[in-house]
Amino acid sequence: MRIVEAYIGEYASGKSENAINRALELLGEKRRVTLVDLDTVEPFYTLRPIKKKLEEMGLAVIAWSPEETMGLGEAGSLINQEMIWALHTEGDIIFDVGYGVHGSKIFNLIEGANTDPDLKIYVVVNIARPMTSTKEDIVAYIRELGQVDGIINNTHLGNETTSAVVQEGARMITEAAAELRLPLLYSAATKDIADQIGAQDQMGNPVKIITRYMPEAFW
Amino acid sequence: MKEKPVKGEKRVFMTGNEVCAWAALAAEADIMYGYPITPQTDIMQYWTRLAPKFGKKFLQTEDEISAGFTTVGGVIAGKRAFSATTGPGNVLFQEPMSMAEMMRIPTVVIIPMRGGPSTATVIYSQQEVTMTTFGGNGEGFRVVYSTSGHQDLYDYTIKAFNTAWKYRFPTFVLSDGYQAKMREPLTIYDPAERGIKMVETEAMVGLPGMPGEDRPPQYLRNTYNTEEELFDVVMEIAKDYEKAALEIMEWEHFDTEAEMDVLILAHGVVSRAARGALPLLKAEGIRAGHFRPITLRPMPEEEMRKAAKNAKRILVVESAYGQFLKLVKEALYGLDKPIDTLLRPGEGITAEEIVTKIKEGR
Amino acid sequence: MTQEITKLAPAMPKCWNPETKPHKFCPGCGHGLALKMLGEAIDELGIQDKIVFGCDIGCSLLSWDFFNIDSVQTHHGRTTPVITGIKRARPELIGIAYMGDGGGYAIGSQHLVNSATRNEKITAILINNTNYGMTGGQMAPTTLPGQKTETTPYGRDPEESGYPTLGPEMVAAIAREGAYVARGSISNQRQLKNIFKKALQNQIDGNGFSFVEVLSSCPTNWRTNAEATWRFVEKDMAEYFHTGEFKVPGQKEEK
Repeated sequence: MRIVEAYIGEYASGKSENAINRALELLGEKRRVTLVDLDTVEPFYTLRPIKKKLEEMGLAVIAWSPEETMGLGEAGSLINQEMIWALHTEGDIIFDVGYGVHGSKIFNLIEGANTDPDLKIYVVVNIARPMTSTKEDIVAYIRELGQVDGIINNTHLGNETTSAVVQEGARMITEAAAELRLPLLYSAATKDIADQIGAQDQMGNPVKIITRYMPEAFW
Repeated sequence: MKEKPVKGEKRVFMTGNEVCAWAALAAEADIMYGYPITPQTDIMQYWTRLAPKFGKKFLQTEDEISAGFTTVGGVIAGKRAFSATTGPGNVLFQEPMSMAEMMRIPTVVIIPMRGGPSTATVIYSQQEVTMTTFGGNGEGFRVVYSTSGHQDLYDYTIKAFNTAWKYRFPTFVLSDGYQAKMREPLTIYDPAERGIKMVETEAMVGLPGMPGEDRPPQYLRNTYNTEEELFDVVMEIAKDYEKAALEIMEWEHFDTEAEMDVLILAHGVVSRAARGALPLLKAEGIRAGHFRPITLRPMPEEEMRKAAKNAKRILVVESAYGQFLKLVKEALYGLDKPIDTLLRPGEGITAEEIVTKIKEGR
Repeated sequence: MTQEITKLAPAMPKCWNPETKPHKFCPGCGHGLALKMLGEAIDELGIQDKIVFGCDIGCSLLSWDFFNIDSVQTHHGRTTPVITGIKRARPELIGIAYMGDGGGYAIGSQHLVNSATRNEKITAILINNTNYGMTGGQMAPTTLPGQKTETTPYGRDPEESGYPTLGPEMVAAIAREGAYVARGSISNQRQLKNIFKKALQNQIDGNGFSFVEVLSSCPTNWRTNAEATWRFVEKDMAEYFHTGEFKVPGQKEEK
């Protein structure tokens, strides 16, 4: 069965990290995977620094490199044919969707998205982000997004993350998920934190180990 | 009373642009005027999402000249008005900021520097130092804070409002495109919880009472008639500026009190690389120290000279072609020390590159 | 037996530069269509070698190397004065200033107004897609009431930020005899090409200022599929922005 997933979320919630990890996970299972950067609000600030590195690992990546654009700097054109027709690529597709005001409506631009039975849209939430730091805010935010199939707890504080931070996220987001009647897929954590928490977080959700690929600084 | 946007203290994970929007809210800013330009547009985008929840206002103007003058207007009216811009937008801002210098209008403008000159890149540089410190047709009666990370962005955006309104000089928070987009944890806090009281604002127009009867009318101008008149006005501002400078200037120094082989001078985000270079150099037996001015205007010259006196030579590192170097040379004038440079207009600089440069010079 | 395969010229205007194609505009972007009609107009008038083409900052900047025509990318909103400067210095050249809604109605509005009142003999073309595309979809002067953008996340409130700018109407009201002012749409390409031809001919004839606004699409920032995109241009935008000619040299003013 083909896997087609989109990771959407608030600014700096961790959607790119989760999208990359998922893509590499599938690659590790010897599946054919393409990672598509649909960040039209902040092109270049997310996948740009690591596109090459991911391609060297065997991942097909559809994303703009600044060299391919005008080189005249103003962020470049935002979407290209490859992205529009991404669903026609063979194999699994993982989308990384930018934060904009329009949420998952970006999929109106992707050929076949509205009729693709496999497309699942997952929203990534980090409660250390002020706009999604209370249950009410989380629920309101997710309701604005349009189609959503599941939620991921990606609560963290960068280098200062502790297991308590992740667990608090699990608690709050599980409550929000219940109100929204959406599944909470997993709580993401780096290996050292995941080892402390165990296979399940305090609310019984699975814990998934993720590796951080996104640089914190850009140099 | 409207709810406070930041209560108590909280450890959060944000991008630099967001930090500025939250800091402005915490500082009780009333209104933001602005025009989109990468990479600072998110400050405005965050403000428009948050502003209505806290009764704050916003206007997207027709361009940066307007954004600067509307900000001046908001401040004259007695409100904490602020804006943000960069690159070619910063160039346009020089006209309204010149007016703010002359008329002592406490504007606050956040500048995440991008490549220059002209359109260049939207990404990063330290190439707006000259323009932000001494731009326009003025004498540089401005306050410029150069931040090196998110905690700085939060602390100094709040401080900028207080510095501006207390001393009445246009005040800038100078950062860069990397800081704007980078994600880091920081502590956001309600200034009141830390004993920081926001300086009261004062209107220059629209005062209560009937003008001419209850009070004199306020006549504000920036035009003068004779050379002597102008001289007096400018010297008066200069006097206030020099006096305030002693209270405003800020800096950091690392290992500069002992004898050094080399003193690294850097500001903003490059300062992080300079700090990162120190232990690497120590491991190679090179005695290095780092002096970081936090205010580029007023420049902490005395303190910089004190550190420089202890070093055999000096290395100036910046992501520009000598803009910070000029300020350094002015500050160190007369000191007979060799100055090496690592100048990288528009490019980021790593600790390793600083180490390599220093080893080359040995 | 070997067969000679003749090279078929790609079906694009002659003045287009095939080496910079496929172009870098988003799929579904109206710029591509507008530039095609402009290219055909230039071909039919035979003026390719006489033109200097200026483009602004924003998505119009992607037309910088689009044509086999001398081109200059300027600063945001400054395309009109740069082309004016070129034309004044070399009146035998045909100056085209190509810009977006910000470049003409926001930061460039003072230049637009002054070119109109001075009757500058240039052709200004403004692509209206109701948002600032390149920078990520912020409000533009032409954003429709209620329309959500990144700086009007709750929908544009006319009480707060006014109503969309009606550019050609304004220019027609202040322009002098000799000016040509019109609004076309990518949804009516034949009309658009005709408008471009007249706007360029007006300059060739040395009559005065020529200004064309083009209703265009931005599916990327509108987040619309093909059907919804066309509907927005043909219906929603056209209800607010009327196509047609607003000022034609020699024609009596309609009261």
